[in-house]
Amino acid sequence: MQVTTPSKEAIDVIKEAGGEKLDLCYQCGLCTGSCPWNLVRSFLVRRIMHQAQLGVIDFATEDIWLCTTCRTCVSRCPRGVEIIDVMRAMRRVIAEMGVAKVPQALRVATASIATLRNPYGEPAERRAAWSEKLGIQAYNNGIGLLYFSCCVPAYDTKVTKVAKATANVLKRSGASFGILGSKEGCCGESVRKAGSESLFQSLAQSNIQAFAEAGVKQVVVSSPHCYHSFKNEYPSLGADFSVMHITQYLAKLVSDGGLKFSKEVNKKVAFHDPCYLGRHNGIYDEPREVLKSIPGLELIEMPDTRENALCCGGGGGRIWMETKKNERFSDLRIQQALDVGADVLAVSCPYCMLNFEDTLLTNNKEDAIQIKDVVELVQEAL
Amino acid sequence: MNDEAKIGVFVCHCGHNIAGVVDVPEVVKHAGEQAHVTVAKDYIYMCSEKGRSLIREDIKKLGVNRVVVAACSPRLHEETFRGALRESGLNPHLLQIANIREQCAWLHEKGPMATEKANRLVTGAIKRVTYHTPAEEKSVPIFPATLVIGGGVAGIQAALEIASSKHVVYLVEKGPSIGGHMAQFDKTFPTLDCSACILTPKASEVANSPFIRLLTYSEVVDVSGFIGSFTVKVKRKARYVDEGKCIGCGVCQEKCPWTAPSEFDAGIGLRKAIYTPFPQAIPNVPVINRENCVYFLRGKCRACERLCEPKAINFDQQDLYIDLQVGAIILATGYDVFDPTPISQYGYGQLPNVFTGLEFERLCSPSGPTSGKLKLADGREPQSLAIIHCVGSRDHNYHEYCSRLCCMAGLKYAHLFREKTGGDVYQMYIDMRCFGKAYEEFYERVQGEGVKFIKGKVAKISGNGASPEDKDKLAITCEDTLLGEMVHIPVDMVILLTALEPGHDSDEIRKLLRLGRSRDGFFLERHPKLDPVATMSEGIFIAGCCQGPKDIPDTVTQASAAAARVLAVIARGSVETGAVTASIDENRCSGCKVCNALCPYGAISFDESAKASQVNQLLCKGCNVCAAACPSGAISTQDFTAKQVMAEIEGVLA
Amino acid sequence: MSFEPKIVAFLCNWCSYAGADLAGTSRMKCAPNVVGIRLMCSGGLEPAYVLKAFKEGADGVLVCGCNLGDCHYTDGNYKTLRRMSLLRKYLDQMGIEEPRARLQWVCASCADDFTEAVDKMTSELRELGPSKIKV
Repeated sequence: MQVTTPSKEAIDVIKEAGGEKLDLCYQCGLCTGSCPWNLVRSFLVRRIMHQAQLGVIDFATEDIWLCTTCRTCVSRCPRGVEIIDVMRAMRRVIAEMGVAKVPQALRVATASIATLRNPYGEPAERRAAWSEKLGIQAYNNGIGLLYFSCCVPAYDTKVTKVAKATANVLKRSGASFGILGSKEGCCGESVRKAGSESLFQSLAQSNIQAFAEAGVKQVVVSSPHCYHSFKNEYPSLGADFSVMHITQYLAKLVSDGGLKFSKEVNKKVAFHDPCYLGRHNGIYDEPREVLKSIPGLELIEMPDTRENALCCGGGGGRIWMETKKNERFSDLRIQQALDVGADVLAVSCPYCMLNFEDTLLTNNKEDAIQIKDVVELVQEAL
Repeated sequence: MNDEAKIGVFVCHCGHNIAGVVDVPEVVKHAGEQAHVTVAKDYIYMCSEKGRSLIREDIKKLGVNRVVVAACSPRLHEETFRGALRESGLNPHLLQIANIREQCAWLHEKGPMATEKANRLVTGAIKRVTYHTPAEEKSVPIFPATLVIGGGVAGIQAALEIASSKHVVYLVEKGPSIGGHMAQFDKTFPTLDCSACILTPKASEVANSPFIRLLTYSEVVDVSGFIGSFTVKVKRKARYVDEGKCIGCGVCQEKCPWTAPSEFDAGIGLRKAIYTPFPQAIPNVPVINRENCVYFLRGKCRACERLCEPKAINFDQQDLYIDLQVGAIILATGYDVFDPTPISQYGYGQLPNVFTGLEFERLCSPSGPTSGKLKLADGREPQSLAIIHCVGSRDHNYHEYCSRLCCMAGLKYAHLFREKTGGDVYQMYIDMRCFGKAYEEFYERVQGEGVKFIKGKVAKISGNGASPEDKDKLAITCEDTLLGEMVHIPVDMVILLTALEPGHDSDEIRKLLRLGRSRDGFFLERHPKLDPVATMSEGIFIAGCCQGPKDIPDTVTQASAAAARVLAVIARGSVETGAVTASIDENRCSGCKVCNALCPYGAISFDESAKASQVNQLLCKGCNVCAAACPSGAISTQDFTAKQVMAEIEGVLA
Repeated sequence: MSFEPKIVAFLCNWCSYAGADLAGTSRMKCAPNVVGIRLMCSGGLEPAYVLKAFKEGADGVLVCGCNLGDCHYTDGNYKTLRRMSLLRKYLDQMGIEEPRARLQWVCASCADDFTEAVDKMTSELRELGPSKIKV
């Protein structure tokens, strides 16, 4: 007969690693009901919280690595339990205390980040390779903006176009900006969510130091994940710079009249709210203002938008992990976009772009709909 | 120092509580060495009869005229020792307590520092008490009329209780009729009485009572004064119907061609521009709502005027302001219902057939928009229902508190639905709270009627059914936490058990009456356990849901309790107000008026003829905020004068 | 014997005095350097009381009141907050260092807030030494 006894040590360890508010959970199950995993399989978030409360977590279970940190559960939890922090705490216990194995794919990615400061296994020196021939200056003191591209647009050939489009649009808007190339490295946001706390700390310190030495005061980013970490996590580590997501920057240009459009983009465009722009940071309107300002563009809404947006499946380090074919949220999201008749699914996160492109590829739907970053659509209309 | 002071110092051992830590003989010796101390002694239990007799004896025999008792906290026994002084003919305010138990012996380890601290406390008290002056407790007569604000079941009950003592009650209700939310309900749990049927007799009694002045369609706009003597200004809104002439025939509202959403039907039914909210309205006199009436909007129609036989319609009526004199006020303004629109996942206002509890009550009610028949938006009868608990309650995103009665209301709706349609009912709960008399039994009964219970907070209500055959249905998505599985349930209709909220006008009311609010937004009682119907303002009581969500039995009980408190005040005929009040020395007052605005009770006003501010002794609560601000040092509070406190400071640092 | 600071605490009747009493009732222990003086409301604290305390030889003054929003007299503690901020400027001019005059909200059930404030101020003032303005 299976009898379970609570383990005080396990509870303490989880709480110390960041899961303090766990005690408040009253097991209503709203988290499970809200979690996108339960659209494709069973994932009982509530049960994991209760297991953590009693310290009877099975650290070897793969379930701990499912959470994409999309924040749907946290934003609705009636007791304000920081479920993402609890997940992160458990992952930290595994990653740092070795009580179980970190999934293989994640280990490969974090090892690459630890040594090369990018998850692709590519040389650190090639971080600015995408910008060759574009004539972008190296950032130095006195320039207005630092453009921080994120590892994905920097290294992934499918997404480099986003970095190029961003640089182009910045130039055309008359902004004074530069890039740091190999002086910068991965922001560490997803590394931290995957439980590698000490790696995150060292990544953050390297970036903070590099930025400080170069006199960086304002940063514009392509990825909401970088935005989130720079805005909410870096300041307590000594960072002293402000950050804008590219859509915020573009929205300001639109309202100031600094973007002159000369062409039309006659497409029906549905905007997909990234979890880390929307639920994590409350930014819903700016990307839509930018899209609405593009001549000829018709902005349509899918179901499950804004606070209720369906996660693409990339956060929490899952972008580096394998997700089974019939368990991909991005497949569901693409179908929603097709159902409302969108020509283009507009994204503003490199992870979302990767996941949606992957869905089109694996389902042979490349011709059904286009995936474009908001900045690409802006570029088309300039 | 007052050279005539003869201080008696009495140090208590309190068994071992004080004596076990503090060197009591040393404290007595130290006290005896202070100036103006006639006698210093100790006793094992000063609060006992023997202890107090020591005080009385020394007052009589040694002419002691100031007393210091070094013992437990004044919050416990100040009144006890004041009694001892009173009994000896000494003014009870010529006493100072030194707290050498809670804030000395109990707080520190035994040793010289604890004794030294006790010495300091006693010396502070000795120096202070020489400056104490006698204080008179004031007595003020009570005006025997009462104001009850709010005509729901709480207000009705309170008014009836007071009227039964043959004292006048003014019952002010802002709507056209008394009855409140209880009049909107169909049946009440757990007895399943018809709500209107049990309320109407009480409401009729109100109408017929010679002691109750019913002021409907009226609002309180100003309250001034103090317990025993409040002056209340009431705005009687124009009904445009002469109450004296109207015979309640109903022809006007029958013939009125203009409709508007009915507030009584929670917005899901219609009423006319001239209307009584429901058939049993009391008074049975309609009102014309200016915002819906075409005569007021465009100058046309006047059909009601033409058709009214007794000629009771009067479009020229004005709002009327009247002043009332009352001795006490009972606030019974009830609650408002949480609007679930912000919870977008529940689709309220977007999807058809999603109702709040109050809307469902109106659907069930024979006087409701469907005459009591349950109908979906497309006219069909529903075959299945989901009831969702805790919508807006127990939720940090909306209201942290539990609204107390929704679990029971949910069971009631489950029962009513089964009775009317025989259909399937699913109740999604987090906990089942069935705490009252016969409540658990009702839960068992409803379970026995075949209602299905799922323990899980609903994540989403969608417009598409779970499968193609159910595409006309709503679908509930939630985790059944007891099964540990996700469930999708197609249903025809959904009821959201929405939170009870503080009344939306409670901020204005609170400012009128100078009341506090608890963290949850409901009005603050004096003490949640020991004094739940009184407020911090003397003479103002609260009853019913305006103090916090509660069911009808508790509301009626609380209303009776508030009425009893008022009747106690009326029966006494007069009330004593605190002696700790501030007063202003006219000669020192420079007329700067800084104090006037600072007083939280509005007790300070500027006397033009004296060219000085003055404190209303009956309104003042003795907080000393005014004195602390006075640049001329013109204000002092009885028992807390600057001289007294400064002397205490000197004493504790000597 | 090493220096033991003398601290005067002004406690409001409804919250902080009750909280201090509760600390005693719960037999919590704290430093005996703080002596409490009862006022009806922290808003009734005349700034002169603080100065008088320093004049009479106090090394520190602790002013306690109800949590904002909970004042028995509605908003007395807001006035305390304003007065203490202004008094701080004056104390600075007089050379009375910041740790010597503190404001601490203590609710009626917050016995631990009281004992912590007492112990904290006592240990800080042991380090800081005696007040320099003793007459």
